Amino acid sequence: MARYLLTRLGQALVIVVLVTLITFVILHFLPGGAARAILGKEATLEQIAAFNHEMGYDRPLWEQYALYLQRLVHGDLGYSFQLNQSVAEAISQRLPKTMLLSLASTALAVVVAIPLGVVQAVRRNKWPDYTINALSLLAYATPIFFMGLMMIILFSQVWPVLPPEAPQGFTLGEVLADPAGLVLPTVTLAVLTVAVYSRYVRSSMVDNLNENYVRTARSKGLSEGRVIVGHTLRNGLFPVITLLGMYLPALFSGALVVERLFNYPGMGLLFWQSALKRDYPILLGVTLLISVATVLGALVADILYAAVDPRVRLKASRS
Amino acid sequence: MSLLRLVDLSTDIALRRGAVHALDHVNLEVRQGETLGVVGESGSGKTMTVLSVMGLLPPGGRVVGGQILFDGRDLLAMKPEELRRVRGVEMGMVFQDPLTSLNPTMRIGAQVAEPLRVHQGVGKAEARERAIEILRRVGMPRPEKIVDDYPHQLSGGMRQRVVIAMALIRSPRLLIADEPTTALDVTTQRQILELIDDLREEFKMAVILVTHDLGVIASRADRVAVMYAGRVVETATTEELFRAPRHRYTEALMHALPESAQGKLYSIPGLPPDLSRPLTGCRFAPRCRHATDACRTTDVQLVQAAEEHLYACLHPVTEPVAFAPRGAGEPREAAGSGTILSVRELVKEYDAGGKGRVSAVAGVSFEVKAGETLGIVGESGCGKSTVGRLVAGLEEPTGGQIVLDGTDIAGLDRRARRRMHREVQLMFQDSYAAMNPRMRIDGILTEPLEIQRVGDQAARRARVTRLLDQVGLPARALERYPHEFSGGQLQRIGLARSLALEPRLIVADEPVSALDVSIQAQVLNLMRDLQSELGLSYVFISHDLSVVDYMADRIAVMYLGKLVEIGPASQVVRAARHPYTQALIDAVPSPDPGHAPSPATAIRGELPSALNPPTGCRFRTRCPLAQEICATEPPLQGGPHQVACHFPLRPEAAVSAGAAPAGAG
Ligand code: SF4
Ligand code: SF4
Repeated sequence: MARYLLTRLGQALVIVVLVTLITFVILHFLPGGAARAILGKEATLEQIAAFNHEMGYDRPLWEQYALYLQRLVHGDLGYSFQLNQSVAEAISQRLPKTMLLSLASTALAVVVAIPLGVVQAVRRNKWPDYTINALSLLAYATPIFFMGLMMIILFSQVWPVLPPEAPQGFTLGEVLADPAGLVLPTVTLAVLTVAVYSRYVRSSMVDNLNENYVRTARSKGLSEGRVIVGHTLRNGLFPVITLLGMYLPALFSGALVVERLFNYPGMGLLFWQSALKRDYPILLGVTLLISVATVLGALVADILYAAVDPRVRLKASRS
Repeated sequence: MSLLRLVDLSTDIALRRGAVHALDHVNLEVRQGETLGVVGESGSGKTMTVLSVMGLLPPGGRVVGGQILFDGRDLLAMKPEELRRVRGVEMGMVFQDPLTSLNPTMRIGAQVAEPLRVHQGVGKAEARERAIEILRRVGMPRPEKIVDDYPHQLSGGMRQRVVIAMALIRSPRLLIADEPTTALDVTTQRQILELIDDLREEFKMAVILVTHDLGVIASRADRVAVMYAGRVVETATTEELFRAPRHRYTEALMHALPESAQGKLYSIPGLPPDLSRPLTGCRFAPRCRHATDACRTTDVQLVQAAEEHLYACLHPVTEPVAFAPRGAGEPREAAGSGTILSVRELVKEYDAGGKGRVSAVAGVSFEVKAGETLGIVGESGCGKSTVGRLVAGLEEPTGGQIVLDGTDIAGLDRRARRRMHREVQLMFQDSYAAMNPRMRIDGILTEPLEIQRVGDQAARRARVTRLLDQVGLPARALERYPHEFSGGQLQRIGLARSLALEPRLIVADEPVSALDVSIQAQVLNLMRDLQSELGLSYVFISHDLSVVDYMADRIAVMYLGKLVEIGPASQVVRAARHPYTQALIDAVPSPDPGHAPSPATAIRGELPSALNPPTGCRFRTRCPLAQEICATEPPLQGGPHQVACHFPLRPEAAVSAGAAPAGAG
């Protein structure tokens, strides 16, 4: 197991380095170079030269990259002149709120999607399967922005039970103090996830229900419920764990739209605003963070998978 | 007294293209304490019969008529909970593929004891004890440890023992075994069949043994039912059925066995009928050499031949079927003398990721002459397929030489290697998997010609048409796709493809293992015909000794990467010199019910790992004759019939091969 962890960790590290290389290259090839991107369009040539010298941008590329890495390691993601704040600080203020939104919506999605997928698999090609399938396709095809709008119209205007805007707190505590405001953003973000997950659970369960071991279980005279819950479900859910890790980027792009729509002060909104203002340090910082988070997510999912599936666990521990 | 009786049982499987009438008025009876063998080819309904009884029909499957009487009560009229109890407690089932029939993420003990927990409310600790007890009973080594293991930690044979334990823990009155040993090696098969036999007596169960293998039936069943196309066509006591079969299909099946070959193997032409269409007359009529107009129009009913013997045939067999002593067919004329392939000290090792090296092939040497067939037999993991892949150039050897027509191909560059592929071709067990499913047959057959840039388009076209003709398929097959063909036809296409470049040597890796007996006979005969027509040489790799015996001039026996015996086919099979060869021979169930394998040669235990194999003689961990000296490696020695053993079972026979007594005793 330790060996397996080490190799997986090594792989993750390589990918992270690659990601930093890519962001570095992007930063380098921005129109007018990093200086213009950071100082803004109005900066004079002298200012740029001074900035370049100060940041080491007049040195050889590999040296610049080394410097860049060195700064990253120290948590220095750069400085946003537009926000007048370091990128790390800007992100760390908003990250917990986005995590709250993502976690809540993912948890909600998983809790809803698993039973849906299981019902679909068990009643395959019957009306429950068709109905859920149609609904999830609909959810899948609806732009998340439109979905959010519909939610606002339905639940805060037609039937005004929930506020149309997310809580506007600065800290996590302030946000949590207004749970009603969190409902619509969470649900909106969860809808798409439910659609994706339930389809995944369905196909995984269908595969498992066709396995020979299920027939063996039935031959013991077990009830259908016991066959499904006791035998198939566990095996059917393993792939979902991997999906959890890989789904992170999609989740963030969803959060981007949802935070904008509900004016939720998280990373998505920050990213959105920075994109409008061409605040490159923030954009790259966030991108880097999301990429690293994705790599870590996949890593955690794999480790989790290895921990629960005896086939992987034992193979890994033997090698 | 009958324990289970099927009365006019009919089962349909609803498919998109219509209903398949898988069972049509099946009548069967199983008595307390007896073993009923149900034999038939794929599509005969033998498996559907037992699945109907167990309520495990595939999606769309439904019993549409008749009764299933268990102990006098009709299962089809029971309430679901009661039915589950009867099936879960009084019946047990063992399935074909032990590798997939266990839940991969549930501990062995939990799976085995689950019926107790569910149906008898037994507590966790007691369930575990009972699981250990029953695992011990089915011959599991270290059951206290294995209860907590997961299925993938066990070998196929061990997993089948687990499935049997699972069926037995409820002390059922009826055990249904559906092809329980088809996926296992012969020596393991023998252990499992013996186990089922012992347990039947101990638990006083009735057993239904479903199989395609007449040999398994002959040695294990009390009575036999032969099924064809969804119907029972003949039932009799085993002894009577093999002595005097009446139905023409039963007879044809027996003649199609390589064991009964007198010269050429009888092959049943054609394919079984499509059961989704309405059928009239005897269902075997289109393939029967005795069919008359009456057969095609009358609905042939079962009639009584003797008290225990029913058959449904208008022109029954009257003369008894003779089983030749194994492979006593005339010795085949000696092949040409030129050596086409010479393998010397071939070694193949795989890296096992820091744990050492897997020794798959360890110093194997043999020769193949032009026009000759060399058979390689051995159980899974013995390295026979690896040898095939090395010879065909699909893998590179770690050491040794493969001299093909005078050139050592191990040292060739890619260009020369490609040319070499013209000379050697590989034929697979599963031709379908080796074909591009989106390519038509003409594309599949011309591909090798295109790669080797042979001829122009017209010439290729002509060549391909001729190839199809040679393997006995109509020219319109060219426009079809692989999935439109049956297994036997696919093997023909696979053979056609390997013949496309006019090779001199074909390496055939288990080419007929996935086929039914009647189809297997067709393919084997085709291969032999083409050999004499084209002067081909074969390296014929198979786990099935009787098939190899039928096909090969010389046989090589492999065990754990080593060649343990090689010699003329008749001598290796009838006067084996290596204890392992003898064990293999005795483990093959013989279709002759009078033949009883001697317990002395049974080998015990499991195949050791090829990672760090035993030193000295690799067979010594399982050999009944092993002595201290066996810790040093025995060299392969002898004249034409060589053996690698310090204590060969018999001296090399005099050159006049032939009527040696069968088996060692
Ligand atoms: S009834 Fe006729 S066609 Fe059928 S098996 Fe007998 S002889 Fe052949
Ligand atoms: S050398 Fe020894 S252990 Fe090996 S097969 Fe011969 S007698 Fe058995």
